[in-house]
Amino acid sequence: MSDLVKLTIDDREVEVAKGTGLVETAAAAGIEIPVFCYEPRLGPAVGACRMCLVEVEGMPKLQAGCTLTAQDGMVVHTASTSARAAEGQKGTLEFILVNHPLDCPVCDKGGECPLQDLTFRYGPGSTRMTFPKLTFDKPIPVSPLIALDRERCILCYRCTRFSSDVAEDEQLIARNRGAYSMIATFGDEPYRAPFSGNVIELCPVGALTSTQYRFEARPWEIQDVPTVCGLCPAGCNIRATTREGLVKRVQSRNHPEVDGGWLCDKGRFTFPHLRSDDRVREPLVRGTVGLEPVSWDAALDRAEELLRGAQGKIVTALSGSETTEIAYGLGVLLRRGLGAHSAVLDESTSAALDACRAPLSTIGAAELVVVVGDDEVVDRAPIVDLWLRKARRAGAEIVTIGARGSVPAPVGGAAEALRDLAAADSELGGRLRASDRAILVWSGSGGGGGARLAEAAHALGFEGKPGCAVFHLPARANARGVAEAWAAAADADEADPEPIGLLVVSGDEAAGDPSVRALAERASTVIAITMFHSLAVGWADLVLPATASLEREGTAMNLEGRVQRLRRAVTPPVPDELAWLSKLAERFGVALSPHAAVVFEELSGRIYGGLLLEQLGEHAGLPARRPYEAPEPTPLAHSPEANVPEDHFVGTLRLLRYTPLFSGHQVERVPELQFQRPEREVALSTVDADRRGIATGDLVSLRSNGTSVELRARVDARLVEGVARLADEHAAHLHADVEVVKA
Amino acid sequence: MSSAPEIVFAGTDGGALTELAAYEAVGGLTALRRAREMTPAQIVAELEASQLRGRGGAFFPTGRKWSFLPKPEQNPRPHYLVVNADESEPGTFKDREIMLRVPFRFLEGCLVAARAIESTRVFVYIRGEYLREFEVLVSALEQLRARNLLGDVTIVLHRGAGAYICGEETALLESLEGERGQPRTKPPFPAIAGLYASPTAVNNVESITTVTPIIEMGGAEYAKLGVEDSTGTRVFSLSGNVVRPGNYELPHGYPLRDLIYEVGGGIADGRTLKAVIPGGSSTPILTASEAEKVTLDFDSLSQAGTAIGSAAVIVLDDRCCMVQLGVRVSQFYEHESCGKCTPCRVGTRWLTQILKKIEAGHGTHADLDLLLDVGDHVNGTCLCPLGDSDAIAVASYVAKFREEFLQHIEDGGCPFHGTSSLDGIVAPTDVHEAHAGGAEIHRPLEVVG
Ligand SMILES: Cc1cc2nc3c(=O)[nH]c(=O)nc-3n(C[C@H](O)[C@H](O)[C@H](O)COP(=O)(O)O)c2cc1C
Ligand code: SF4
Ligand code: SF4
Ligand code: SF4
Ligand code: FES
Repeated sequence: MSDLVKLTIDDREVEVAKGTGLVETAAAAGIEIPVFCYEPRLGPAVGACRMCLVEVEGMPKLQAGCTLTAQDGMVVHTASTSARAAEGQKGTLEFILVNHPLDCPVCDKGGECPLQDLTFRYGPGSTRMTFPKLTFDKPIPVSPLIALDRERCILCYRCTRFSSDVAEDEQLIARNRGAYSMIATFGDEPYRAPFSGNVIELCPVGALTSTQYRFEARPWEIQDVPTVCGLCPAGCNIRATTREGLVKRVQSRNHPEVDGGWLCDKGRFTFPHLRSDDRVREPLVRGTVGLEPVSWDAALDRAEELLRGAQGKIVTALSGSETTEIAYGLGVLLRRGLGAHSAVLDESTSAALDACRAPLSTIGAAELVVVVGDDEVVDRAPIVDLWLRKARRAGAEIVTIGARGSVPAPVGGAAEALRDLAAADSELGGRLRASDRAILVWSGSGGGGGARLAEAAHALGFEGKPGCAVFHLPARANARGVAEAWAAAADADEADPEPIGLLVVSGDEAAGDPSVRALAERASTVIAITMFHSLAVGWADLVLPATASLEREGTAMNLEGRVQRLRRAVTPPVPDELAWLSKLAERFGVALSPHAAVVFEELSGRIYGGLLLEQLGEHAGLPARRPYEAPEPTPLAHSPEANVPEDHFVGTLRLLRYTPLFSGHQVERVPELQFQRPEREVALSTVDADRRGIATGDLVSLRSNGTSVELRARVDARLVEGVARLADEHAAHLHADVEVVKA
Repeated sequence: MSSAPEIVFAGTDGGALTELAAYEAVGGLTALRRAREMTPAQIVAELEASQLRGRGGAFFPTGRKWSFLPKPEQNPRPHYLVVNADESEPGTFKDREIMLRVPFRFLEGCLVAARAIESTRVFVYIRGEYLREFEVLVSALEQLRARNLLGDVTIVLHRGAGAYICGEETALLESLEGERGQPRTKPPFPAIAGLYASPTAVNNVESITTVTPIIEMGGAEYAKLGVEDSTGTRVFSLSGNVVRPGNYELPHGYPLRDLIYEVGGGIADGRTLKAVIPGGSSTPILTASEAEKVTLDFDSLSQAGTAIGSAAVIVLDDRCCMVQLGVRVSQFYEHESCGKCTPCRVGTRWLTQILKKIEAGHGTHADLDLLLDVGDHVNGTCLCPLGDSDAIAVASYVAKFREEFLQHIEDGGCPFHGTSSLDGIVAPTDVHEAHAGGAEIHRPLEVVG
């Protein structure tokens, strides 16, 4: 290829693509240029730490290797062949250590610390510094999740660069200057942002540590288990650190196409819910005085009894957070074994999306991104938000269509907006059609789900353009895999039973869903599979303990359509779902393996073209696009109409509920995450607030049908008129239309 | 006294030209009118012919710097002229006098320079403590605007907030953009991607002010002044133990001893000359006998192992303690280090600590070796020249006055017993702090004209 350049590093010839960083170029030749501040994912090199000093022939001064790119004919000497470079590096390391407390024995980073490693390799054996070191109060809580030790900080500015240049939350800053420079949060407020935890992993020393992991383990007594996050449909690749059978922390396992090495705080910090006090640890049956623990044998007897007693009039409420194998197992038992085909799943995704699928990283290279829907991307699939920011920084135009969009749409009007995009006369649609790097994202509920989105992408001609892609953000982590596994378990059609003899509630999301609760009212009996007591009491005849995704073997399909492998990080305190499902299946004469790998093999033959588990590897690939097959048409759930009160000052507003990122049964059980939960507040448009004389911070009352909720108002300039937007957890029993008055 | 022609201060007759009419009466605005009839390329060519080199310290040819900016058709982003009026190098106080006395010549230079680089946006980044200078510029700008003389050019007067590092051109640009004032890595150079990642020329106040007379008299004529490689005149800030400290505009190549003994009236209080810092605190020191021989131009000072820098000549008499000088200079760099890169952030503080130990009489021979070794590790490894400057300056004091350092060590104390004459010459940092109270910063912080 013509754009290759040849250069010499430490007398070795290397050939790389023009523009490759010198650090990477050296690495390609097996030569290490040690770095601290260099981290290409944070943007251009800043040249701050000076650890990477090299000598370049023709340049009089030592150069920061991290700031250079490979040039044809360049001759570079690293510390191993240049005495000057070695001397420079030695000096840098000595300077870094001058104020460093060297409290490695009590430092969480000890044993996995780049500073420790590089000091071991290149550092001086003793110190020439005889003056008192700079000291600071330590540790300082940056937030309930992160502690800062300023004495250990080497001021590489990785954390502040992440905050301002990647997550763009602008909360971490450097204060003062010179030797007294220190990392701080703006205004000393807690670092409250969706991606804060990444700075812990970025920190090359033990300056930023996780409060959850502090003093919990040493690197030589832990085991890291590679798995994927099960808390949203992005499916970030993670590493669960375990010690003595407990998960101690979650870190990124950098899948460059999926997560780019970042995690959201929900994915990173929610694991303590595994050890929640109210976890269901044994089966429970409804007795005379509520739920009573029973043996597994008794529980399976009771399950068999309930299943037979329903005589096929069974409805299954799926969560969408099951592994594909569990969903398949349920399908095999209930559909093949009992002929019960009816299932509810919160949201309809669509296999037709696969015609225009691409890695999430495609977003980062886009020139035009259109996000349609009423939900914030960060609430549904946080990591996608970072890809969008990356795209915008690189110059892409991001158009959002929804209740808070750059193009405002009435609540629920996004579905129509999507249809309009595909219409021939749409200006924006025209640009999507013309572009080779356009992305369409659906971030909301309703609207016909993935099928409508797939149709739009098809109409816009995305299939033939690899740089164009479509992403549907379902509410649940494995919505795609669960739907496909359930469908694959049997061939028969669905038929809604009436009355419902038995409702099988699979998982916590379903158990907490008000519409599932409503369904239960119509069911004679209920089996609930759940992790938590509070979700079990009051409605179930039989409760079977569930496991968490960190405890599961199996696979899940993320929002891209990528099949990824979950590995059991820790043994659950209860038998896993497949173990008892296979036993039950046996009672109904159907074969189901208790091993996820075997179940995968069977279902893979049916839906993944015989893909093998081994083929998924540590970093699963995204299969090629599939030919477009038009999805089933489904009518719009409700036709949206503008809801703008006309001439009266105090009309009703349409309630727009959203599910915040930091919510849900897992988050609720992690005390240190509580500060991240949404404020008790309702957002109103400027017009609606003005009409009611409401200002940000005012106490207001929301009323509908005899219920009322009091909370603080926030005037949201981005919100469309006629809407009151608030988090699900604050909406209580409010109905679709609410009156908002100053309290 | 010299009979050299005044170029920068021409027509001032020792006073100030702060009224536009007075400025026009001495021929002001001719350069602007002429420049508006020239093409940008012709203006750049005139600057190249003048061989004007930057007066901010680095002595880079101004015409050449401008020629590095892409043409608007090569890069459609706005082009910027940024004038560096952050003047903070110890010993340097020429730009303030230029702004006070010839504000119109300076602003006229801005307009000419803007035309040369095809820019309509000019930012003047002025040291925060320079309130009077700021006000004079505000008034001059208003007068120009009232007469519609700005054309399509917008000039923004932006006040700094008290950081020496913001005089380094890329840190200045960061600060102007509202970021923390810390230098950027180069390349890209400002000419390619400067302010808001757009083509930018950064020039010193004196450089820009000199553009005006160059256009008036022609580049070739200007080049006849001074000496080869250092054409034209220079405003020298003379300070220290001299009878008549102050700013003196003299042609390059002027003998240093004449500046001290004739222009400056000799060493004050009947003392004798001990040493001279010829170009601001960042430049290596000269002994008295070296100072006798050099002329004030690039070549002569380079040959003597130092530099012309910002042309701030600091004269030290025989009472000056070189270790104390080291403490104060190093303290300045420690205090002003931005903290971005490791060697400077840590090394400047360490150097100061060692120097203080020696000054206090607690130093050992090993400390002196350590001082030089730490300096060697700072020099040449930093991101910007600030850290290097500290190491270079301190190393020069040891190299030239090693005996005095040894005396401190061997006698267990300062041989000057507290009578060193540095007070009022190079102030210790705590004095800076006592002065830089909030009272010095007044609104407005920025004026757009
Ligand atoms: C630490 C540091 C401080 C500086 N301070 C100033 C200053 O106050 N004024 C100035 O004109 N140049 C200063 N410079 C030089 C500028 O970086 C730049 O070279 C100059 O403004 C260019 O203008 P010129 O080419 O007209 O000299 C400083 C450089 C450094 C490294
Ligand atoms: S806290 Fe860590 S990441 Fe942040 S600047 Fe210090 S060493 Fe770097
Ligand atoms: S973005 Fe989603 S998959 Fe990634 S860590 Fe957060 S919850 Fe988990
Ligand atoms: S040398 Fe000093 S002032 Fe310059 S970038 Fe480094 S720390 Fe900042
Ligand atoms: S890694 Fe190059 S300067 Fe920090």
